[in-house]
Amino acid sequence: MDETQRRVDEIRQESSELENHIIDQFIDGKITRRDFVRRGSVIGMSIPLLSFIAAACGGNNETTGTTGGGTATGEVSSGGNVRVALIQPATAPNPVIVKDEGGAGLIGSTGEFLSFSNAKLELEPRLAESWSPNDDGTAWTFKIRQGVKYHSGAALKADDVKTVFDTLSDPKNSSNALSALGGVLSPGNTEVVDDATVVFHLDGPNGNFPTLVSSANYNAIIIPSNLDPADWGKTFDGTGPFKLEKFTPKVGATFVRFDGYWGEKANPDRMEIKLYDDEAPMVNAIKGNEVDFVEHFSVSGGKALLDDPSVTVIAIRTATHRQLHMRTDKDPFTDKRVRQAIALSMDRNALVDGLWEGKADIGNDSPFAPVYPSTDTSVAQREQNLDQAKQLLADAGQSNLTVELNTWNGFEIPDLAQLVKQYASQIGVTINLKITDAGTYYGDAVFGKSPWLDSVMGITDYGHRPVPNVYLSSVYTSKGTWNAAHFKNPQADQLISEYIGALDLDSQRVAAKKLQELLLDETPVVIPYFYNFLSAAVPKLKNAVSAATGQFDLSRAGFTS
Amino acid sequence: MGRFLLKRLGLATITLFLLTVIVFFGSQVLPGDVARRILGPFADQRAVDALNHQLGTDRPLLTQYWDWVSHFFRGDLGTSLSYHAPVSDLVGNALVHSLKLAAFAFVLVVPLAVLGGVVAALKRDRPTDRIITLGGLSLTVVPEFVTGIMLILIFGLWLDVLPVSANAPDGSSVLTQMRYLVLPALTLVILLFGYIARITRAGTIEALDADYTRTAVLKGLPRRTVIFRHVLRNSLLPTIAVVATQTGYLIGGLVVIETLFNYPGMGRLIFTAANQKDFPLLASAVLIVGIGFLLATLLADIAYSLLNPRIRYAAAE
Repeated sequence: MDETQRRVDEIRQESSELENHIIDQFIDGKITRRDFVRRGSVIGMSIPLLSFIAAACGGNNETTGTTGGGTATGEVSSGGNVRVALIQPATAPNPVIVKDEGGAGLIGSTGEFLSFSNAKLELEPRLAESWSPNDDGTAWTFKIRQGVKYHSGAALKADDVKTVFDTLSDPKNSSNALSALGGVLSPGNTEVVDDATVVFHLDGPNGNFPTLVSSANYNAIIIPSNLDPADWGKTFDGTGPFKLEKFTPKVGATFVRFDGYWGEKANPDRMEIKLYDDEAPMVNAIKGNEVDFVEHFSVSGGKALLDDPSVTVIAIRTATHRQLHMRTDKDPFTDKRVRQAIALSMDRNALVDGLWEGKADIGNDSPFAPVYPSTDTSVAQREQNLDQAKQLLADAGQSNLTVELNTWNGFEIPDLAQLVKQYASQIGVTINLKITDAGTYYGDAVFGKSPWLDSVMGITDYGHRPVPNVYLSSVYTSKGTWNAAHFKNPQADQLISEYIGALDLDSQRVAAKKLQELLLDETPVVIPYFYNFLSAAVPKLKNAVSAATGQFDLSRAGFTS
Repeated sequence: MGRFLLKRLGLATITLFLLTVIVFFGSQVLPGDVARRILGPFADQRAVDALNHQLGTDRPLLTQYWDWVSHFFRGDLGTSLSYHAPVSDLVGNALVHSLKLAAFAFVLVVPLAVLGGVVAALKRDRPTDRIITLGGLSLTVVPEFVTGIMLILIFGLWLDVLPVSANAPDGSSVLTQMRYLVLPALTLVILLFGYIARITRAGTIEALDADYTRTAVLKGLPRRTVIFRHVLRNSLLPTIAVVATQTGYLIGGLVVIETLFNYPGMGRLIFTAANQKDFPLLASAVLIVGIGFLLATLLADIAYSLLNPRIRYAAAE
């Protein structure tokens, strides 16, 4: 027995049943190397360990980790000042209530998470060194890194983790984090066992829980338990490789290297964030060499960057999408044949090419984006079929339908609405568009007080999530708070529960396949695409990492000479 | 003059009071409430109610209004509901930026436009007049975001001689700050030149055709003396009024230009505050702009009376 095999056997003896199950799946060829690393990282196996096992058990030596969504790696000069263009946050930098990319980017500049969800959907340990579930996934134990200091000098404590998650999971604080933690973790259920151990006691089994407390949940930076989150913006106190030098609301912030960082010290001396109200000046700024990195730009706003050889575009496949919901409890959409007809009227390839210049994955009317390892890609892709659509309408006894579509005037949504209207007209359905501002469309975001949740037909935007749990539980369950289609299907409820509780990839895929097929048949929601997250950098900037959740990591970034 | 000034100050005070009422009650018409804007559309209603209570936005409107007005005139502008920062800091920073840009634009456009208008009037109906008048008008009708983008493309990207944004790095010298302001200031010059030049031209033509000018010429005064001593002081009266009315726009209305050049001025601040229903920030910023506008018109009136004794004597009566 050679040394490598002996080492693998040792690892397997020390691993849990779940970890061994995943290793077996990889060895048997049931999951790809990429899925093995992703899934393994979610359940708490370290990426270097996963890479070693993958190489030892027949995989290649391709490195994983932070290179998935970033500029090219390479030797860079030490030091320097990296200038970042970031969209203006709508609120003060309060980690609890931040709700947009600008806010997420600001708080993530100095704050750290238990783990970092990279562009490959792998979880890289940060303030948590490791994590593992109990047998049924109802409790997850996190080992907290020791010897970590905040920028203020205080020591990181396990109590800080408890305070953060008790705050985020409490409905009265109304954090955006509730979209991930609501129904998963209740306040008071985070237990401090000792200063190196925190246990999360969940409301139910959840195989993807570590992702929900990673950087994918951008409110979940760990801050001192005695610091009021409302005052956090005065100091930006965190444990990250950069610490605050100066912050001017509505203008920007500068950060300098934190020499007391627990890990490898940041390469740049400074990181400067400039805040922009609009995309056009960000595009001009990178073309005019006034910034080195644009955190996010859109295809429509950043066309000038896409074909510019003097700019490096970072494109990350995501689960970001638009949902066209149809009220299953209101005419004319009570009959699923009518809903299927609308879905069949749409030319998804044309939408991807026209709206996203090809920088999107085609959607198949379920939130299982192609980027997810649990997505079953064998489910047949719905294609445009006008004849079938017309026949379905005829079978349903519906003709010359007129429907109002509600939505709001952000991103490419008005263009999508126009195209949906145009496609529907080809099968005899007249759609009248009612496009308002976001505030009007979302209203109070509760049933009865929100055009989003009350309209017969609407288009809503959903940001990227590294796992589909939030989409499933909030949008597709009978009691989902975001169930704009008013879709009540006990089978779907059961399958969603099975998916969320599944600890291994096989079980997730089994539930996913059934769900995908059920949603394709019922079609309460049309999801035509999942578009890429685009960042941009100047070519001489290397090792800049972008994650589709609005986080970015420039601690290893630098300039080539 | 003293009575004149007191009268104007009195009117200005009433105007400002009306402005506060309009801004406050007008912002209540905007959909949504403050806490919902801050916490987002998916926030729990209990948290929204709690935050509204904490911010005091669930009190009767008149109570909120009186609270704000009474603090304002004691110098306490309050705290921004969105940014959780003193309004005085936010408004102060934005006002300094706006004043710099406004001053730079004024220094460029006013002499240029006045000169253009006077030259056009002196060369009335000749090619020079046509070029200045039609050219200026053509530039004025081009939207400022088009002009701004063209300038950015040409000077910022193609020629790479000027910065594409207007906000110089902290600690920059005055010259560097001015360099960063060249493109937005040029945008404003192009926008305002035609309008001011045409007003100046009209005023100059009227003054040139007046009896007193004919008298001065017949007296044998040199042409230069006739123009500078007799024509200009009368022809500039309407120009002064026009320039004064542009002050409010230059200080608080440059939303598009400030966004295009990423310049943290009052225009962007007011726009964001209105969107967020951040009443303390919105009202204070609008009031500051209003005060600036009233001061500018007051200065214009003073300049008027200095240039035109008839106005001075009428005011004294």
